[in-house]
Amino acid sequence: MRVVIYSDVLDLAKELIGLANELNAETELILAGMEPDNVVGVDRITLYRGISPEDQELVLEALKQAEADLYLLSNDRRGRELVGLLAHSKGGASIVDATSVKVEGDRVIAERMTLGGKGVAVEEAKMPAVISVMAGKYKPPEEGKSPEIIEKEAPSIERRVELVDKKEKPKVGVPLDKADVVIAVGRGFKKKEDLKMAYELAEILGGVVGATRPLAADLKWMPEEVWIGISGVRIRPKLLIVIGASGQQQFSAGIMDSKVVVAINNDEKAPIFEVSDYGIVADLYEAVPKLIEKLKR
Amino acid sequence: MNIAVLLKQSIDVQELMVDPDSDKIYLEEAPTKPGEIDLNAVEEAVRIKEKVGGKATLIMLSTWGSSGKRKREAREAIKRSLAMGLDDAIFIFGADGREVDTYVSAKVIAEKVREIEANLVLAGEGSEDNFTGLLPARVAAELGWPYVAYATSIEVEGDHLIVTRSLEDYEEKVKVKLPAVISVTQEINKPRIPKLMEIVKAGKKPVKEEEFNKKHESKLKIKSIKVPKVERKKVVIEGDLDEVLDKLLQALKEEGVI
Ligand SMILES: Cc1cc2nc3c(=O)[nH]c(=O)nc-3n(C[C@H](O)[C@H](O)[C@H](O)COP(=O)(O)OP(=O)(O)OC[C@H]3O[C@@H](n4cnc5c(N)ncnc54)[C@H](O)[C@@H]3O)c2cc1C
Ligand SMILES: Nc1ncnc2c1ncn2[C@@H]1O[C@H](COP(=O)(O)O)[C@@H](O)[C@H]1O
Repeated sequence: MRVVIYSDVLDLAKELIGLANELNAETELILAGMEPDNVVGVDRITLYRGISPEDQELVLEALKQAEADLYLLSNDRRGRELVGLLAHSKGGASIVDATSVKVEGDRVIAERMTLGGKGVAVEEAKMPAVISVMAGKYKPPEEGKSPEIIEKEAPSIERRVELVDKKEKPKVGVPLDKADVVIAVGRGFKKKEDLKMAYELAEILGGVVGATRPLAADLKWMPEEVWIGISGVRIRPKLLIVIGASGQQQFSAGIMDSKVVVAINNDEKAPIFEVSDYGIVADLYEAVPKLIEKLKR
Repeated sequence: MNIAVLLKQSIDVQELMVDPDSDKIYLEEAPTKPGEIDLNAVEEAVRIKEKVGGKATLIMLSTWGSSGKRKREAREAIKRSLAMGLDDAIFIFGADGREVDTYVSAKVIAEKVREIEANLVLAGEGSEDNFTGLLPARVAAELGWPYVAYATSIEVEGDHLIVTRSLEDYEEKVKVKLPAVISVTQEINKPRIPKLMEIVKAGKKPVKEEEFNKKHESKLKIKSIKVPKVERKKVVIEGDLDEVLDKLLQALKEEGVI
């Protein structure tokens, strides 16, 4: 069986190599505008120095030219964008958000979250198939075969999408999905300044602050990479304190792997209490300062 | 501009009941609703039309069965989109959800896009119940058109679009040649609430209802859907606030998380 791997993030590509090794496949890694630093466990690396990851059309063309039974892509936005395009041009199946991938004969079987997190679908397809795999599910191999490296020229095709401008988004400190303690804030906070409380609580507990989508995406009170949920980050802290967030399904889908969940909300009927271990029905403007005070003692 | 807007009638996942013990998912009992992000696509189509003129057609392929209830819900959603300002609609029903994966859906929808001679397809970044974004990508591939996902703004410039899109670490601005397929995010606009008059008028706009005819084989089979087991204690701590917080801290210490 042949596997082709692509990601615009080298660390994610390495996780996919970990998966390919479990599948005992002959593996080729395709890299666009990136150097293969410390890559082991693949048979071949095809380097396209003349393509950068934002050249979606060229990356797609390079992937189309690579023959494989299974194409593994990272589940970031660039990766997900490619899955359907590549699968359709190969006449194959497509799966995103995969949390596990297995191969049985000429078939691939993957699990993925669906129904806003209320279901885990087990999907099966005859190969060829294109699958993007969630980050953190497979480990990069520490040792393995050293690859043969081949360099190729960018394919020449008619371009219809042209990059005009690219701006880096502001960065936060510790990535949310790696933090042990997360304080998640929602629209219960009335002003941006009030988030200070959440940051103070996070500092005392050695954690980081995340948010619901509206706070990051609509109100822009926080950088976008701190929104938790189905369209944002999925977190797995030891302790999660959710403050002033209703717990809509699309948010809750992102907190399922947390160990202990605490919710503070002034509406006793808020759905967040259904997915929490400890619930506190209170005005956050009273509860949070008091909690900080007690922790400081 | 001749725009096709793709709208999926999705399971309302907030209302969906599941039973983790028996892995039962009450799909039939759950209501369906137009995806919220799909309504952003509708809104964007209307705004583009207001700026540069043209026509916008809604295309919906029902995938959650075709019972009377499902049809009623779908017609409701279609009417809402027409009231928001779309011109007409194509509603394809009668497909068994298990027979239509994204490969088949894309084939069926792309055929309609060709039929109405659209030069722009607008879709949501993800449907509310599935959230994969696979369908618009496949429609683009089927049509052989460029595809740009995660749009937060769209500007028309002659036969090009200037699309701003949001990725994890970057915001990109790209110039896309028409015809094209674009998927939008929730941040692109705020869908309008139609006025009563517009709802009344929407009742007269043309809706073409067509039966799904099975021409293509799915590439993917859903073997089963399990309910993820998340054990939560669901203890609401009672008492006055001081007491409640003391109990909380005690519990968190016992859990070994602080
Ligand atoms: C396809 C799709 C994808 C989505 N993806 C995501 C996602 O990834 N992440 C995400 O978060 N959302 C996502 N959403 C949006 C989601 O459905 C909800 O709209 C959002 O999570 C709600 O955010 P919130 O809880 O902050 O706000 P609200 O729902 O408005 O909740 C605010 C809560 O604060 C409480 N409150 C108010 N005042 C106080 C007070 N003084 N003290 C204590 N509590 C108070 C209220 O009781 C209420 O429960 C998505 C939606 C769709 C359709
Ligand atoms: N059956 C369908 N009928 C019409 N549009 C659809 C359908 N399925 C998906 N879409 C569109 O494609 C987008 C992404 O859906 P998905 O690929 O399911 O995440 C949705 O937001 C809709 O705009």
